Amino acid sequence: MKRYVVAEFAAEAPLLDAARALRADGQTELDLHSPVPLHGSDEALGLKRSIIPRIALVAGLIGAVSGYVMQWYLVGIAWPINVGGRPPHSPPAFIPVTFELGILFAALTIFFGLFKLWGMPRLHHPVFEVEAFRSASVDGLWLSTAVAPEVAEPTAARLRSLGALQVEIVEDAS
Amino acid sequence: MTATTFQGGRRLITMAGAVGAAGLGLTALGGLADPRQALASYLVAFVFWLGIALGALILLGAFHASKARWPVVLRRFLETIPLTLPLFAVLFIPLALGMRHIFSWVDPSGATGELLHAIEYKRPYLNVPFFLVRAAIYFVVWIAVATLLRRWSVRQDTEGGHRLTAWQRRLGTGALPFLALTLSFASFDWMMSLDPRFYSTMFGIYWFAGSFLACFAVLIIAAAATRADPGQFGHHLNADHVHSLGKFLLAFTAFWAYIAFSQFMLIWIANIPEEIPWYVVRTDSPWGRVGIFLAVAHFAIPFFLLLSRDLKRNPRRLAAVAVWLLVAHFVDLHWVIMPRIHEAGPHFSWLDLTAFVGVGGVALAFLVFRMRGVATMPVRDPYLEESLRYQPQ
Repeated sequence: MKRYVVAEFAAEAPLLDAARALRADGQTELDLHSPVPLHGSDEALGLKRSIIPRIALVAGLIGAVSGYVMQWYLVGIAWPINVGGRPPHSPPAFIPVTFELGILFAALTIFFGLFKLWGMPRLHHPVFEVEAFRSASVDGLWLSTAVAPEVAEPTAARLRSLGALQVEIVEDAS
Repeated sequence: MTATTFQGGRRLITMAGAVGAAGLGLTALGGLADPRQALASYLVAFVFWLGIALGALILLGAFHASKARWPVVLRRFLETIPLTLPLFAVLFIPLALGMRHIFSWVDPSGATGELLHAIEYKRPYLNVPFFLVRAAIYFVVWIAVATLLRRWSVRQDTEGGHRLTAWQRRLGTGALPFLALTLSFASFDWMMSLDPRFYSTMFGIYWFAGSFLACFAVLIIAAAATRADPGQFGHHLNADHVHSLGKFLLAFTAFWAYIAFSQFMLIWIANIPEEIPWYVVRTDSPWGRVGIFLAVAHFAIPFFLLLSRDLKRNPRRLAAVAVWLLVAHFVDLHWVIMPRIHEAGPHFSWLDLTAFVGVGGVALAFLVFRMRGVATMPVRDPYLEESLRYQPQ
């Protein structure tokens, strides 16, 4: 069972410094929780660029291509329709649907892709056991890290030495 | 802050002015031999460079309307671009003098049938005196807005405080509807009326979309060009400013494609005799290849390039895309205007080049001339510090 160590900090700078310090110690499952955007948090956590834009691009291209091919097959080959004397395969008329399907595929893929990447749906998380952690959605700046049980106490001590206002350890019951 | 009063640029003014004057002189000489070609080439160059000045004015108004803080660092340059509008009012004179050579509604003696009918029907609007009065109104509105916005901004350099910011915001916001209307009608008058039969209600926004995009391209190129000069705004832009300009470039590349395609698709699908000939000339002849080139060069290539975050944050590579888009924008206007005198297919004349360099040269010289004597950034704008620290999440 791993342990979550959560620590509250008074200001942005010590919070980010603590994240950098723990990362330098070799910890990998770090996260920051704040009610406002934290400038520089990506760098402090050592986050890589998100994969979502690439997924969206690929999905959008697949959507656009399938949108075009679908129309070309339906009204160009399977059931040719004469619309005002235009050829059955009329590219300008196909563009709006091609565009819309590209957007639709990209949007739905991002939506459900993020669900998957974030591990949603998830109704509860061990750190919610810490009553004080609620301030993370009001005015508190929090750091959380998942560690092996024997490292939990040393990590808590380390966080206190880095200037944490309060530190709690919670067990991952799941 | 090392923003100082700008006193340099003498060499640039001399060189650009000389090249511009030579270009205009050669175009005038060409006009003696072939006034139709010279005026059409001149019109393309005129609406290309004028569009950038108007795009800058509208962008400035939009920034004031949205109380934008991040662009304060580049605002002085942005508000100097529209100060070239008085020059364009002067440069309009050759068009006014030679309008009978390219605007067929001025002298309908050779016209028959449908064209004659259209000219007679539209006579209350398309007549020379009203055309000139309208042009005067456009320039008065544009020059008044541009001059006041910049005057108050410069006054703030010594006065400071928030009062002048409030004035600029009020005028910038209130002017936007008038700028939109005058720009639309100017595009109807100067480009759409080349063929009196043709009409498209979104023609104004088509010219605007390309011009607005070109304005961002100019901002990006200027930022990249002045990066090494500590006295200029380009030096003070951080990667996030450049990134934001790049995002605008991407957004308005897509916007141009959306507008250009919408206009084409609606007219193509309706296929009614009044509208469709304009596109038949531009798609069913060798001009159609230029149209396909535009779809690729003005949309597909820059769009996919600009999706890259790294490219948008790199001033030099972003500037390269911006130069490419300016070229594509010129081809776009060429494709809109030139089929009027060359129906059979694309035709390149050396007057296209001399007119382009001529108008652009004198406009650049005039722009740098107007930059002299004032600070290169709004030094006492209350939001300058915030703009310099710009860091979006």
